[in-house]
Amino acid sequence: MSLYVVEELSARIGDTVIVDTVSFAVEAGQCVALVGASGSGKSQTCLAPFGLSPAVPSGSTQLDGVELVGADAATLRAIRGRDVGFVFQHPLTALTPHLTIGAQLTESWTRSGAPTPSRADMVAALDRVALDAPEDRLDQFPHRLSGGQRQRALIAMAIAHRPKLLIADEPTSALDASLRAEIMALLDELRREHDMALLLVSHDLAAVASHADSVVMLRDGRVEESGPAADILAAPRSDYGRALVAATPKLADSAPALPETGAPLLHAENVSVSFRRPGWRRDRLQAVSGASLALAEGEALALVGGSGSGKSTLARAIARLGPLDTGTVRWRSEPLPERKRMTTHHRRLIQPVFQDPVASLDPQWRVSDIIAEPLKHLRPDLAEWGRAGAVKQLLQEVDLPADFADRFPRELSGGQAQRVAIARALAVEPEMLLLDEATSALDVLVAGRVLDLLEKLQHERDLALLFITHDLAVAKRLCHRIAVMDAGQIIEEGPTEQIITAPAHPITQKLVAAS
Amino acid sequence: MGALLFRRLLTAIPTLLGVVILSFVLMRLAPGGPFDGERALDDDTRAALDAAYGLDLPLGEQIALYVGRLIRGDFGPSLVYRDFTVSELIAQGLPVSLTIGGLALLLACALGMGGGLGAAVRAGRWQDEAIMGLATLLTALPVFVTGPLFVLIFALGLGWLPVSGWEPGSPSHLVLPVVALSLPFAGAIAKLTRAGLAKALNEDHVRTARARGLAERQVIARHALRPALVPVASYLGPAAAGLLTGAVIIETVFALPGLGRYFVQGALNRDYPLVLGVVTLYAGLIILFNLVADLIYGWLDPRMRAE
Repeated sequence: MSLYVVEELSARIGDTVIVDTVSFAVEAGQCVALVGASGSGKSQTCLAPFGLSPAVPSGSTQLDGVELVGADAATLRAIRGRDVGFVFQHPLTALTPHLTIGAQLTESWTRSGAPTPSRADMVAALDRVALDAPEDRLDQFPHRLSGGQRQRALIAMAIAHRPKLLIADEPTSALDASLRAEIMALLDELRREHDMALLLVSHDLAAVASHADSVVMLRDGRVEESGPAADILAAPRSDYGRALVAATPKLADSAPALPETGAPLLHAENVSVSFRRPGWRRDRLQAVSGASLALAEGEALALVGGSGSGKSTLARAIARLGPLDTGTVRWRSEPLPERKRMTTHHRRLIQPVFQDPVASLDPQWRVSDIIAEPLKHLRPDLAEWGRAGAVKQLLQEVDLPADFADRFPRELSGGQAQRVAIARALAVEPEMLLLDEATSALDVLVAGRVLDLLEKLQHERDLALLFITHDLAVAKRLCHRIAVMDAGQIIEEGPTEQIITAPAHPITQKLVAAS
Repeated sequence: MGALLFRRLLTAIPTLLGVVILSFVLMRLAPGGPFDGERALDDDTRAALDAAYGLDLPLGEQIALYVGRLIRGDFGPSLVYRDFTVSELIAQGLPVSLTIGGLALLLACALGMGGGLGAAVRAGRWQDEAIMGLATLLTALPVFVTGPLFVLIFALGLGWLPVSGWEPGSPSHLVLPVVALSLPFAGAIAKLTRAGLAKALNEDHVRTARARGLAERQVIARHALRPALVPVASYLGPAAAGLLTGAVIIETVFALPGLGRYFVQGALNRDYPLVLGVVTLYAGLIILFNLVADLIYGWLDPRMRAE
């Protein structure tokens, strides 16, 4: 008898079936991963039986012989406090902001009836999840901790009551690459140490391949295929499985044929940016210090690094979208004017695409107006009908149907919205695109198709790309060169192949190892 | 914390000074003066009066003199209530206003937060609809409607409570004005609490708390309530200042000897020192309540604490 048995589980919200007759089992000490594109019902499969989602479950789910489906609220509550622990996706919002780490840890510790832990017990628990300075953390509020630290604290809380089953719903997707590897390793260790079952929800197939014993692949709420992780991920049987595996860029993939590069285009030298810290003290936070970059025509440069390393700040300073303290930026050996003096002529050259596609489109505007707006300002020569024609052509170029012109951003999926953002950036025929984590907020399959699109544009339009990412495998797919940033400085730069096969700087090595 | 208070009190000084100077100038721009009556005074008498109260000096000098006295805590003499200083008038009216306003504030918070909480946990059911409907009704009814209505029903009709007036140490005189004053505020607080809690109950951290196996009661009390009250706190700062000081209508309806009527009378009579005194006091109270609201923010959400 397995520890956690899911049999023909279905879940519906209103009339919509979210999970459709899903069956699998998790043994004690084992890790089962639920994978699939977003909206495939992964999270609901985990949360609905425990009463943690609005979806109503049916079928059967047994944890250690106790039936969960149909159990009353008090029983489910007792099971949540005693037998199961949860780690959620967004560490930044998953902790209660007004309670200290210690208070929240105590809360989960004592739910199962255990006595209130001593300070030493709690310090040991935080130490176990490798949270630095555990003694101080106990009295701190969550906002003092970084994302990775908060995720460690959450894990400590999730296992404080020694659950038999740990459910981790995308525990690493909000973290950067090296943190991902650390958190996954920690979950593995804890699972073995406590002989705990781990149900992992993830769209990160690389992580799944190295940590899970078996895989359940979901598509539209149904099991597409399932079996031992090694088999499924090495040789998926279904088309969907193959698409999923193929869409995940891997470092080991052979290098793609990249377009030829031309004359030097952009040259940024010794760029420094600092921000005033809030409050009355006048000290400044140095976000970028003395970074230099160069790009040639048609060249793609990846700017990689952990969160907070200054990638976006540097790129925005170069494109004159953000502040710049010192340093020069030259465009074909002409200096670019400072931010407030950028003329429409200069603005045309570099166009940005941002991470959150839906947030970067005005919700009140139609797609056609969104794409036409830069044309109005930067291509005044086009008349009204000329703009409409251009919009149609651009939609075609980013592989969207022409009738999307009348839609509002809320009627678009994430991938479609990102295509609109790319079309908007292309509208004025720029010579360089600034892509700030342009695929990180997208689901694997969708991100894969957006990368395909960028690859096509790179070849057809001879565009230079400055590609900000924390994913080396994505960088490898598109970029000639990689620049690695840490703490506001570029610590290593070179051809993609060289950075990946022979990283020189310890931080780069760590990044490569984690990818 | 101490440093924050000190800094905020320091920044209050220029604000207060600005209020005093602006009110001073505005008062003087208004036509008429304190000694204009039905019969015009002869020039000598008027000149003598002006000289006695320093009204013949240049405006700048008058302001400087006034601010100088203010720093020593002296609001000056009333020009119309000849036997009283402004400080004495305030000392008479303020306790009445503070009592009525303070009690109304407490009652509004208790009713509003209780009602909002009750509606939020029964979201979508008839209790929710009923409470929210009542809250909308209460915010729409002004006190000059509810006040006389209450008098009609509870004082004249049922004879349970006195009609109006003020007797120190008599709680029954307080009931009707306090309830009438608090109801619109209670309605607004109920709506804010309901909306805040509905949002807070969908937050990620509340799901984490539920995942820990806490009972729904604990989830609300420990994890959802404080974030839910942030909008209430932003409403309470200005509302408290209004309740404690601006209850002019209530004072008129129930014939209460509060501060509000001095304010109105002072303005009508061009009693410059009285108006300035009351305005300065109001401004000071508003600054104080905003400071208190900031401290409450810090308690509700530690991220808002000044570093």
